[in-house]
Amino acid sequence: MELFSDHFKKNHVLSRIDARVKLLVALVLLAMVLSYRGFAFPSLVTLFCLFLCIMMRIPLRALVLRFSEPLFIAAVVLFLKCFYSGEDALFSVDIMSLRVVGHADGLIEGLLIVSRIIGAVSVVAVLGFATPFTEFMAGLSWFRVPKGFIEILMFAYRYIFVFFEDAQVIYQAQKNRLGYSTVRRGLNSFGTLAGALTIKAFDHSQSTTVAMVQRGYDGAMPMLRHKPFKSSEVVASALFLVVMGVVWKM
Amino acid sequence: MKESKSGIILLWMLFVPTTPAYAMHISEGILPFKWAALWFVVAAPFVAYGLYRLKKLSTVDLSFKPLVGLMAAVVFIISCMPIPVPTAGTCSHPCGTGISGILLGPGISILITAAALLIQALFLAHGGLSTWGADIVSMGVVGSFAGYLTFRALRSMKINMAIAGFMAGLLADWATYFATSVELASGIRGDSPFMPLFWKLLIAFIPTQLPLGILEGAMTAGMVVLLYKKRPDLLVKMRVLKPEEAL
Repeated sequence: MELFSDHFKKNHVLSRIDARVKLLVALVLLAMVLSYRGFAFPSLVTLFCLFLCIMMRIPLRALVLRFSEPLFIAAVVLFLKCFYSGEDALFSVDIMSLRVVGHADGLIEGLLIVSRIIGAVSVVAVLGFATPFTEFMAGLSWFRVPKGFIEILMFAYRYIFVFFEDAQVIYQAQKNRLGYSTVRRGLNSFGTLAGALTIKAFDHSQSTTVAMVQRGYDGAMPMLRHKPFKSSEVVASALFLVVMGVVWKM
Repeated sequence: MKESKSGIILLWMLFVPTTPAYAMHISEGILPFKWAALWFVVAAPFVAYGLYRLKKLSTVDLSFKPLVGLMAAVVFIISCMPIPVPTAGTCSHPCGTGISGILLGPGISILITAAALLIQALFLAHGGLSTWGADIVSMGVVGSFAGYLTFRALRSMKINMAIAGFMAGLLADWATYFATSVELASGIRGDSPFMPLFWKLLIAFIPTQLPLGILEGAMTAGMVVLLYKKRPDLLVKMRVLKPEEAL
């Protein structure tokens, strides 16, 4: 839940840029990374994004958390592609009378996917680190994402923290009463925990609605109003994308 | 000994979300552009159907939208329990889509999954923006419909609530990972044939998916039974039970 912390998003030039601009730039970069056939462009994007993260003073721990699983997945994809696909044998290893052959073409294909994964994760990481959730939602509404869906996202985001704490309290109570002492009891307790969260969701939805209606809720939540675009941000972003486009084409 | 073993397994499953081992679903960037785009196209009509249902139901009940949002938070927490699948290059987890499909219907369940997936992709690096469409299809569409249809079919045959819930959770989970294997195999196969890679991925998921499906089944059954015993009014409200069936 640490990654949800907004504390490193507040005082940086990137976090002050309009969320719509950041979102648009990130989506275009993501499309470029995914459609590129080579290592150079995704690697360049990765380096640039890491530089931005350092500039934003993202704690190393947060960065490691963010990248650890994608890196693990990338490593396994590389392994799978190297040993399970391709035809040109590059090397072989004997493991307990089993010959495992690494393929050059598989390795290259794997490296392409790895560079794509790391490049794409870097782009989304910078977007996530630099954009507070409410601004992100406002940005989505400008992109004509249906309002009903954005409202669901806002309710969900608000209650994730509440339910997370509730789940921990219920779990502790169950554990203290030997709710996980056997597999059978454990499964039962686990189901009860999930069920209790569902009941809480129903109950909270009623009380939240009553509270919101008292404050004027009529079925639609107000969004942040969009300020006009700053021409400096738009021009700088457009220039950045043109430069990246040229590099992508090379 | 037996006690401590089962305790450790379940304790681990519950506390993994509190530790920062974030990643699951199909990872960001793993699908090439054309495949990522294709899955968005496949997901779009289902999401549109969900939005249509949301609009329709929230006009008659003001608390429906908050309820959907809060259920998305519950699904988010349930699907934040990652179990690594080293052989497949991904992580596995309970989906929670079976229960949301049963309670709110598959259309709304797709929206719930889409919301949970987007928050996970943006802030936790679980899944990704580029693989959002693929993840919506496997978890939201396939998982929700599998759970909903299984539960409805079994209940129409007068099978009891616990077994129907268990089977719905089990099949929703397994169907999700079948779909994930299709998406992964088609996306990363390159010039290699589809079927061999698909089987490899499917087999790679088995070590975690077999037990995890059972866990998801038990969890879904536990949830449904708890609701049936403690709050049958909610099941009646969600049209899972007829008023005369409530205790």
